[in-house]
Amino acid sequence: MALLEVDAIHVFYDNIEALKGVSFSVDTKQIVTLVGANGAGKTTTLRAISGVLHPRGGDIRLDGESLSGVAPHEIAALGLMQVPEGRRIFARLTVDENLAMGAFRRRDRQAVAEDKERMFTLFPRLRERQKQVAGTLSGGEQQMVATARALMGRPRVLLMDEPSMGLSPVMVENVFETIRAINEQGVTILLVEQNALLALSIADYAYVMESGRIVLTGRGKDLLDDEKVQRAYLG
Amino acid sequence: MTDVAASRGFIPKLSTLSRFTFVDVVLWALRIGVIIVVIGGTIGTLIKARYGAAQWFDFLVFGVTIGSVYALVALGYTMVYGVLRLINFAHGDIMMTGAFSGYFVASSFAESGFLDTNPFLAMLGILAVAVTTSTVIAVLTERLAYRPFRRVRGLAPLICAIGVSFFLEQTFRGAFGSGVRAYPDPKWQKNTLDVFGFSVPLVEVLVVAAALISMLVLYVIVQRTRMGTAMRAVSEDSDTAAMMGIDVNKVVVFTFALGGAMAGIAGVCYAFVFKQVYFFMGFTPGIKAFGAAVLGGIGSVPGAMLGGLFLGIVESVGPALFLDGIGITAPYQLRDLIAFTLLIMVLIFRPYGIMGERMAKKRA
Ligand SMILES: Nc1ncnc2c1ncn2[C@@H]1O[C@H](COP(=O)(O)OP(=O)(O)OP(=O)(O)O)[C@@H](O)[C@H]1O
Ligand SMILES: [Mg+2]
Repeated sequence: MALLEVDAIHVFYDNIEALKGVSFSVDTKQIVTLVGANGAGKTTTLRAISGVLHPRGGDIRLDGESLSGVAPHEIAALGLMQVPEGRRIFARLTVDENLAMGAFRRRDRQAVAEDKERMFTLFPRLRERQKQVAGTLSGGEQQMVATARALMGRPRVLLMDEPSMGLSPVMVENVFETIRAINEQGVTILLVEQNALLALSIADYAYVMESGRIVLTGRGKDLLDDEKVQRAYLG
Repeated sequence: MTDVAASRGFIPKLSTLSRFTFVDVVLWALRIGVIIVVIGGTIGTLIKARYGAAQWFDFLVFGVTIGSVYALVALGYTMVYGVLRLINFAHGDIMMTGAFSGYFVASSFAESGFLDTNPFLAMLGILAVAVTTSTVIAVLTERLAYRPFRRVRGLAPLICAIGVSFFLEQTFRGAFGSGVRAYPDPKWQKNTLDVFGFSVPLVEVLVVAAALISMLVLYVIVQRTRMGTAMRAVSEDSDTAAMMGIDVNKVVVFTFALGGAMAGIAGVCYAFVFKQVYFFMGFTPGIKAFGAAVLGGIGSVPGAMLGGLFLGIVESVGPALFLDGIGITAPYQLRDLIAFTLLIMVLIFRPYGIMGERMAKKRA
């Protein structure tokens, strides 16, 4: 049984059907990527998984348990944390406070403090900026805050929505290295990316989305060599 | 683009004059009128020199007193607006419920003599009951009236809030009558204290002290505690806060409770300053405090504190300073006029307040 299963979900914005029966699954410890053009429905899918949007049909299951009707904060407590599109850090809170918000539901102070230390090892730049208001950080640093904030919730599955958006090539490299490092520590990752080349090359498994549907699936490396994918997304 | 900018500037370019609409003319007349009254009145008053230093000091202290009450109420508006983008129109009435419940305790304490023999404990008891009442009612209104409207767009939530306001007023009117009841007036409150060589009524000192302590406690809660931080996070982006594991409903309840507690303290303070309670007493200070919150930038906690103080001082010093000088004989009757003129000016010319951001810019 897959860790996370998305089973034929339909999501609407008012009367516009943004997801027309999307199904896929993510296995434990994998990196799974969801690629596709603008407006394909990738963000919609992740927000539905996090419980912020409610599918009108279909089901989402974690460990075989349905998440339908479960509130977003409870979904986070079950171990699904998200690095949202556009980072959406709390700009007026300090870096420390942002991290504390990721660990909000946790009561194990000792372990939270250790995790924070681990974040500062993963992102040394954040250590110097602990007391700084997050809105004043650079884009790359804000991405680090968003990632660290989600990791502070000790996710079983980390949902990442375009973590490389708006970053310089060097920072993009960094982001992907971090993703690999996080995955090696045992966190399952569902990665949404515009940068299909990089995403496919680190993914165990990949799904290609187009106008609200999954149109292609396969192992990351295989899709990288696929002619259709090359033409559509890799130029 | 530039023309619009120029006509909004202080001195319009000649070329734009022809494009002045009727509304522009009215707005300019309002600005100029207010400026003339303020400057002319101030000069007139100072020339007449009718008031001595002691009187000015009295006005100022009274302004700070009433302003700190507005500030306490304004905090409730601003925090609720922050987390829900809702103007809790009933907030002034929640202050009234605190003042009313405090009244029953205060008058029984006054009858038994407890209020005179043990003023400190008596005041704490009165405050405790008022705070409990306001907090409970604030939380109940959220749960019963506002939560069902949480995801509703448009004017419905605001109309619901106005409905809650009427409901509270009419419930208290039905239960306790529409008459004005006199708040107990213990002798010790009439004592005066020596401040910088001027004598100040003890009530006013107590009110300012109570308000300052409450605001300090509130500030520490908002800035330093886990729930306070969550409240600020929800104010910025409630969906993301929820995705991080924050129970937004709990934060909303917490916010209403904090605002309600502040309103309860404010209610008792207000009642002890004006020595009366009645079912409609929350309306005017409620509107003024809302204006103070807008003045300070709605959503901003320090803004609400400063906005309240500023409004209180202007409305207290204003009648003597601005109106006396232009020959108005009973300027105090016009205190509310000054307050509301200030509020209208703020809403027209600086709707996003002194410290805040544009209301419309905030995420829904
Ligand atoms: N809040 C909304 N209201 C109405 N329609 C929306 C809303 N959000 C997204 N949509 C529509 O739903 C479809 C899917 O959008 P979504 O944001 O999921 O795409 P995406 O794959 O994440 O695109 P991108 O790569 O640009 O982020 C689009 O057609 C979009 O216009
Ligand atoms: Mg997207």
